[in-house]
Amino acid sequence: MAEESILFTYVIPFVGVLLVAVGIGGAVPGGYAIIQEDITTCDQPTIAVEGAEETQQRFNTTSPDLARFDYAELSDAEQRTFEEALTDPVGEARINGSFPNAPAFRNGSLVSYEGDEHYVTVVSENPCYVTPALQFPLGVFAIVFGAVGIATPPIYRKLIELEERASFT
Amino acid sequence: MSVAPSETDNESTNCLTDNCAIVGGPTMMNRAVVEGSALALLAVFVLGLWFRARHQARPTSDGGYLTRDEIGFEIDRLQSQVYRWLTTTNHRDIGLLYIAFGTVAALWGGMDAMMLRTELLTPPADIWTPETYNALFTTHGLTMLIFFVLPVFFGIGNYFLPLLIGADDMAFPRVNAIGFWLLPPALLMARFGLLVQVGGQVLSLFLPEDTITFFLSIREVSIGWTLYAPLSVVQPNPQIDLLLLGLHLSGVATTVGAINFIATVVYERADGVDWSNLDIFSWNMMVTSGLALFAFPLLGSALVMLLLDRNLGTTFFATEGGGAILWQHLFWFWGHPEVYILFLPATGLMSLILPKFVGRKLFGYQFIVYSTLGLGVLSFGVWAHHMFTSGVDPRIKASFMAISIAIAVPSAIKVFNWITTMWDGEIKLSAPFLLCAGGIGTFIIGGVTGVFLAVIPIDILYHGTYYVVGHFHLIVVGIIPMLMIAASYYWYPIMTGRWYDKRLAKFQAGLLIFGAFVTFMILLVIGGLGLPRRQAIYPPEYQLAQQIATVGAYIIGLSALLWLYNMLVSYWQGAIVKTTDPWNLKATNQFTREWQWFEDRMVEKYDMEPATPDSTRRSYAPELQPMGLLGGVGTVAEQVYQNASLAAISGFIGTFLMSGGIGTAIVIGVLDPASFGEIAELIGFQQNPYIGAGLFLVAGTVTWPLLFLAFQEYLPGRRMFETGLTFATLIATGFSVAFYSGQQGLALVGYLTFVFVAHWAYGLGLTVPFQYLQSRRKRAMEE
Repeated sequence: MAEESILFTYVIPFVGVLLVAVGIGGAVPGGYAIIQEDITTCDQPTIAVEGAEETQQRFNTTSPDLARFDYAELSDAEQRTFEEALTDPVGEARINGSFPNAPAFRNGSLVSYEGDEHYVTVVSENPCYVTPALQFPLGVFAIVFGAVGIATPPIYRKLIELEERASFT
Repeated sequence: MSVAPSETDNESTNCLTDNCAIVGGPTMMNRAVVEGSALALLAVFVLGLWFRARHQARPTSDGGYLTRDEIGFEIDRLQSQVYRWLTTTNHRDIGLLYIAFGTVAALWGGMDAMMLRTELLTPPADIWTPETYNALFTTHGLTMLIFFVLPVFFGIGNYFLPLLIGADDMAFPRVNAIGFWLLPPALLMARFGLLVQVGGQVLSLFLPEDTITFFLSIREVSIGWTLYAPLSVVQPNPQIDLLLLGLHLSGVATTVGAINFIATVVYERADGVDWSNLDIFSWNMMVTSGLALFAFPLLGSALVMLLLDRNLGTTFFATEGGGAILWQHLFWFWGHPEVYILFLPATGLMSLILPKFVGRKLFGYQFIVYSTLGLGVLSFGVWAHHMFTSGVDPRIKASFMAISIAIAVPSAIKVFNWITTMWDGEIKLSAPFLLCAGGIGTFIIGGVTGVFLAVIPIDILYHGTYYVVGHFHLIVVGIIPMLMIAASYYWYPIMTGRWYDKRLAKFQAGLLIFGAFVTFMILLVIGGLGLPRRQAIYPPEYQLAQQIATVGAYIIGLSALLWLYNMLVSYWQGAIVKTTDPWNLKATNQFTREWQWFEDRMVEKYDMEPATPDSTRRSYAPELQPMGLLGGVGTVAEQVYQNASLAAISGFIGTFLMSGGIGTAIVIGVLDPASFGEIAELIGFQQNPYIGAGLFLVAGTVTWPLLFLAFQEYLPGRRMFETGLTFATLIATGFSVAFYSGQQGLALVGYLTFVFVAHWAYGLGLTVPFQYLQSRRKRAMEE
């Protein structure tokens, strides 16, 4: 075989890998954006609830101007989430429903529950992933096109073999 | 960012389970399901690839379908293989087990990396929640540092160190096996959170929540791989305890392995192998093991103290006890030697492999050994540079700063020796060499950026930024995996008796180097601009940079998969090695002991003839150094005179041609002639453009041609005109800076264009007439 073509052996596959990598970056989140509303509950913030002891330590020496709530004042979803967070291994839970006290919670609030005060705050807004409609199809196209680029060297060698065979006939 | 309250209260049906907030954590997308599925798919892909390649490589007797006897035979074979691999004490088998284990861990930790890089495609935390992101970088760090790097190096060491020193096996074969088999349970404990989460997801489909509380109360640790107190003490996640136990177990395994390596090197060397000729990889493995021996037991103690604080109410790391800073001291007293435990085996491989592909013996063997020992000692004296932003006494910090700067010296010695080894060598552009070269490049950048961080005020500025991430990843995704992969290619014929796909390997090497540079140079830049690390959310102006870094990370991931594909498929379908010296090492007297072992085995098993090279020379033989392009006969003085006179004539022609370009640039106004006056001023004359132009002509006729003659052998290019063009490009770069006089926009484009074109004309004018005159001279002499 004649001297190996660097273009077909290395350059085009390299461009192919670049395309695949960019395509993954487009297609995976793009695909997620399409199905996220079916599989997740985005746009529902996560709150963190501190234990009574930690809350007491936090405000031992300072008394900041925070909103204060009684547990009963919270909405059903807020109450449910509050209790979930209290039993959660890392003290966090996701609001799954009406969240009327969101502005106060974002700023940090104190909630009285069974005689103790707990510091509550929003730790994550969990926004929905927003993406252009073309991102997913273009990403998939880039992956497929890139895969063809990666497969170029064996295709190129096959074509040369074919040509050499043809020249003897 | 505005967040609207939910409109309905029944959206929990969108979760996979009713209690998804507990089971999966507050995830945007369910991390456990995604990562578990991706890893399962990867496992299926790898196994499928393996069996497909095996099936294709084996002959089929009849119609191609299996008979009952064949199935029975396969099952028996599988049983005997399982028994063999579970009970083996052979150092080569255990080496392969270590490598396989490390590869699994790399894929697992790599999956974490891909997931967290995907989150960083967009500024908000809109794919994973911040907590999931925290868990991803925690488990990524721990898995890669503890369960990937050292096991792979222990695997390479297990396989090759005894062969390199002429030992029959490791000093304690059974202890060796135990050391390995402690690792899988250690990894499972450390990553138990993911397994439990996946288990909880599956079980919750069938069982009520109350019966599977255990599965719902554990999740991946999200406190950072450094496990800093007080967070690691107060966070109730039980997985932290399992992680600590897993890390402790892995520490025991490492210590056991380290003892074995030291005993093997000290007591099992063959006759004729002494400290003065011990191969450099074994030296490095021994120093690494020494470091592990001192560092890991301390980590074990610290982990137990943390466990006690968490579970039994001790106060080692509580404010009223030892304090949270104590954890940092203990952790980094292990942590910084750990950096060198990960790094030194890679440098050993570099020093061993690189000379084989440049045809020269390692430059400065002794200095490399001393630098390794120096790094080993100094690595225990720099830990507090990880704590410059803490409240440690500034005077103590200053001493750590001094040692942290000093530790760059032995590393620089290594780099100097590697580059000097390559200098003027006969470089074979194979995959192992490419990886060595890439490893040196990434190490230089990763190392130098680390020297800046050793300086307290700079560290205080950049400690919490991506600069640090870029710095250390240029080492841990640079020289370390690059040399692992280089070793896998270099020794593949020994391990399998087959060749890997060389083209694919070169391609994969290029991808890895490219991906690492793109990803981590970007991180250095955005860190330099002040972007904080460890955050899922970042300002939108950094999005493009983060996206490029993510694409670079995907390229690294793809290159890793290509390596795996090459290793698996070539095992069954690679070209069979038909020589006992696959790398032609005998030609340069670099046929080391492991290859001798290979040759003996090939002779014994296949009755092969030991390979004999066409010619043999010392690995550094001045008489065989390339003559260069000048050639010629006669005394040195005659040659110098003749070459210099030819160069002067050629230089004049070149300068004349160049003047055309420069003159045109002046006429159309993109080059200011007054800047020539500065040349006159430079050597003490008045600032006069005419004197400057005269000097320019003299330099073009005499100085630059002579410089070209002196250096042209070292410039890239096969033909002389190619080296001439390279030379011209280099001096054009300098010219364009020196003669720049504030051109903007199109004037700047025109200025640069004319400068480069004029210099290329000079390069051709210098070299083509030179070759022409040289050929006439030779013809005259022959006549």
